[in-house]
Amino acid sequence: MGGAGRSALGDAGRVNWDGSDTTHSRLGGNPEGCGALSRDALELAAIARTEPDLKLEQGVEAHLFLCARCRAAVDAFSADNALLGEFAVVKPRVATRLEAALQAEAAQPSGPIPGYQLLGEIHRGGQGAVYRAEQIATRRACAVKMLLGGRFAGEREMVRFEREIAVVARLRHPSIVTLYESGLSREGEPWFAMELVEGERLDRYVAARSMPPREIARLLRTVAEAVAYAHRRGIIHRDLKPGNILVDADGMPRVLDFGLARADEVDGADMPSASRTLAGEFLGTFAYAAPEQLKGDPAAIDSRCDLYALGTVLYECLTGRKPFEGARSIGELVQQKTETVPPRPSVLRTGVDRDLDVIVLRLLAPDPARRYETADALVEDLERFLDGRPILAREDSVSYVVVKTLRRHWVISSAVGLLLCTIVGATIALAVAYAHAERQRVRSERTLASFRDAVGSVNPESGAGSAQLTVEQFLELIEQNAAQELASEPAVLAGVLDTVGIVHLGFEDAARAESALESALATRRELRARGECTDAEVAESLHNMGRVLILQGRLGEAETSYREAMALRVAALGADDPRSMLTTRHLASCLRRQKRLPEARAMFDELERRALAIEGYSALELAAIRNGNAFVASEEGQHEAALRAFQDALAAIRGELPPDDYRIGRSLFNIAVEEEKLGRVEDARRHGEQALEILRRRKGGDAATVQRVEQLLGSSSGSCRTSQAQTSLRAGSPARVPPWGLRRCPAGGTPG
Amino acid sequence: MEIDRTTTALLAALFDPKNAAAWEAFDRRYRPILTGFARNCGLRELEAAEVAQETIVRFVEEYREGKYDRSRGRLGAWLVTIARYRVLDLRRKAGTARVERGESAIVNIDDEQSVTQAYEKERRHAVLREALDELRAKSKTDPRTVKAFEMLVYHGLSVPVVAEELGISAHDVYLAKSRVAAKLREIVQRLEREFEESPGEWEAPGARPSAMLGE
Repeated sequence: MGGAGRSALGDAGRVNWDGSDTTHSRLGGNPEGCGALSRDALELAAIARTEPDLKLEQGVEAHLFLCARCRAAVDAFSADNALLGEFAVVKPRVATRLEAALQAEAAQPSGPIPGYQLLGEIHRGGQGAVYRAEQIATRRACAVKMLLGGRFAGEREMVRFEREIAVVARLRHPSIVTLYESGLSREGEPWFAMELVEGERLDRYVAARSMPPREIARLLRTVAEAVAYAHRRGIIHRDLKPGNILVDADGMPRVLDFGLARADEVDGADMPSASRTLAGEFLGTFAYAAPEQLKGDPAAIDSRCDLYALGTVLYECLTGRKPFEGARSIGELVQQKTETVPPRPSVLRTGVDRDLDVIVLRLLAPDPARRYETADALVEDLERFLDGRPILAREDSVSYVVVKTLRRHWVISSAVGLLLCTIVGATIALAVAYAHAERQRVRSERTLASFRDAVGSVNPESGAGSAQLTVEQFLELIEQNAAQELASEPAVLAGVLDTVGIVHLGFEDAARAESALESALATRRELRARGECTDAEVAESLHNMGRVLILQGRLGEAETSYREAMALRVAALGADDPRSMLTTRHLASCLRRQKRLPEARAMFDELERRALAIEGYSALELAAIRNGNAFVASEEGQHEAALRAFQDALAAIRGELPPDDYRIGRSLFNIAVEEEKLGRVEDARRHGEQALEILRRRKGGDAATVQRVEQLLGSSSGSCRTSQAQTSLRAGSPARVPPWGLRRCPAGGTPG
Repeated sequence: MEIDRTTTALLAALFDPKNAAAWEAFDRRYRPILTGFARNCGLRELEAAEVAQETIVRFVEEYREGKYDRSRGRLGAWLVTIARYRVLDLRRKAGTARVERGESAIVNIDDEQSVTQAYEKERRHAVLREALDELRAKSKTDPRTVKAFEMLVYHGLSVPVVAEELGISAHDVYLAKSRVAAKLREIVQRLEREFEESPGEWEAPGARPSAMLGE
């Protein structure tokens, strides 16, 4: 192909296609040759030394052999070409290459990114450049982002990045900027196209409008919802900051770049310049990063990093400054973030509510375990704040721990897996929450290890498990495992046994529940004597013990247990604490069962009065209290009043619970009983059957509650139907806890 | 002449704490070099960024306090000394030696020559990068010429493929490469002069920047 071009020989002085003319003078003593050969010919001769494919024109080599001046010129050109070898290792930065491509676009119909026409730069940041673009096929306006990192990223990183983009592209949320598609540019750099948002950066938006704290909290709740949505899909943002949150024309915040930032792709060359302020400005990039992120351990990065970043964003929006300022190095910043507490936002800006302080500082906790467990929990608390309800930030919520623990430790792949994980997750979560409270990380780790073993032991592929494994057997495995593994950690063991007992209780297996709860109570009493456990924990065991005794009909003992629990709870937590109220309600119910009706009624009335005085008191709990009073009415023979009260209770809880919740079943049953007493047989049967369906599913055929419903149905509609129902129930598979059982039915939640 | 042209001019301007442009230019020039250097010492990106940050901040502080005596040694040597201590510091804090990232050439930080070479390599790369940027941004070279050059040099595409892609003859591809090479050499030569503190002015023969070691 050497001769494919124009003749190089004797063509001196022509203007080259690149616009340069061949006779321009070169810096540093340009080789000119003797004039017999054109510059092109000399250059080609130089190239031919390293390019065997290039054939020179006839006569060129002969001339060079004879002419020293031309040889010197060729030598000089060769030296230039050698320089190119050096350039091969210095790949140009993406943005500049892209610029070149942009320039070239006029001459070239296809741009650097197939299918898109780039229209100009919108933004350039640490990771790359964002361009306004148009998708050629659809004429749709969009933004195209090219990422830096090609220079250092290996094949594996690229593949991982591509995969992550594919996952992120499936995120669909009104507050998350939608990714359209992605690929590799002609330059081999990853790019992606996303929805074009014309908006204002969150911090500037807030500042420009002097937004009141409540409005800021409202905006942040929307952002947190988006983050929670992504977290539920396993995607962590990793780089949340005001620059990644735009508020669009409708006032809707939109989060950009989900899941795309990785600490190991930060290119030092493109860090923000240190120029403006010696150190402060530069460190701005790291201001939003959680301390564990700054320490650079990829294993420490989980969804709670995003919560930390949201805390910083919220802090900055509220106060106009970052929580930690003035650090001169990343090391110093980490130290500040782990060892100091920033001033409360309310100190820096008047009008910031104390609850908002608590929320912000909780998000900024140096230990991830002390932050909110999930973004959902943050959303909930912001909602509570906005609704004027008490926030939850002060106490660890078990259900969030459960969800979080589950997500972190298991990949749930089958229904059985889900079932087991829920039980174990709850158990572990309780132990973990307990261990956290005690600031004993070692304990929680040991507990986790122990329960991993327990789960492993029921894996049908490697352990004793099978599809026929009952909950009883599974709990027994846990109990054995815990007793062995946690012998030296009685406090954790007691927490585990307590939970095991509650699950047995849920299945109305009184004997097993009693055994587990008795051990838990005894252990806690011992620990209490040594000062290693709180009154509240002893009270928890006593309360649960009361439930077992009620189930066994040992009402006097139950009363003693409940009274002790109530005294401890009221002293430790206050009379208005939901746990104190719960124990009191159970005690009232216990009195009612003992036919001490005036005492019971007085206690229920007092509870109702107090519950109504507490703002934001749980609607379910209030319904349970009224339910208790309805039972008293029934015992007193006031069946009309009782029926109305039960119906009210059902109406009150219907909006709060899924339609097949156990408590709905119980309420239907209560209604059916009253209807039966009032002689409304058809209504009673209808409601009884509905109740049976729910309770059968929830508790299994052997549960006492279910048998009581069956009896009721038997007495109201004839023995044939009953025996049929019983046969089919008895023949059913062994009872299993539904996966949502623990979450929806917290300890002691049984109404009546 | 632009303020940031020569290192000498840059340093003079840097004395004035209010001269933000000098800062910016100094930072733009040396941060990538120092980051690359630290990276070659086996640090992760974030750590390397930190080393670069601390080195630049400390240098400018010392410089403004008059601790950096021009006659004592070249700017690069001073920066390397600071950066090297920062790297050692980070490694010490990390406790044990880091598991290497499988890169073939990690700088032996105890070996002076190896350290100097590593810095020199990064400095040269910075010059080459800037030359490329300038070639694109400022020179009048036809974008297609640049394109042909990139396709050949970076993407290892063969001459016929490049010719086909760009719709020019093979000879033109060869010539494009040669043209770019000549242009780049011109830019690189100029940049090298600008980057370098002129030795006569800056370097006292035989002087080692020993005073800098005392941190």
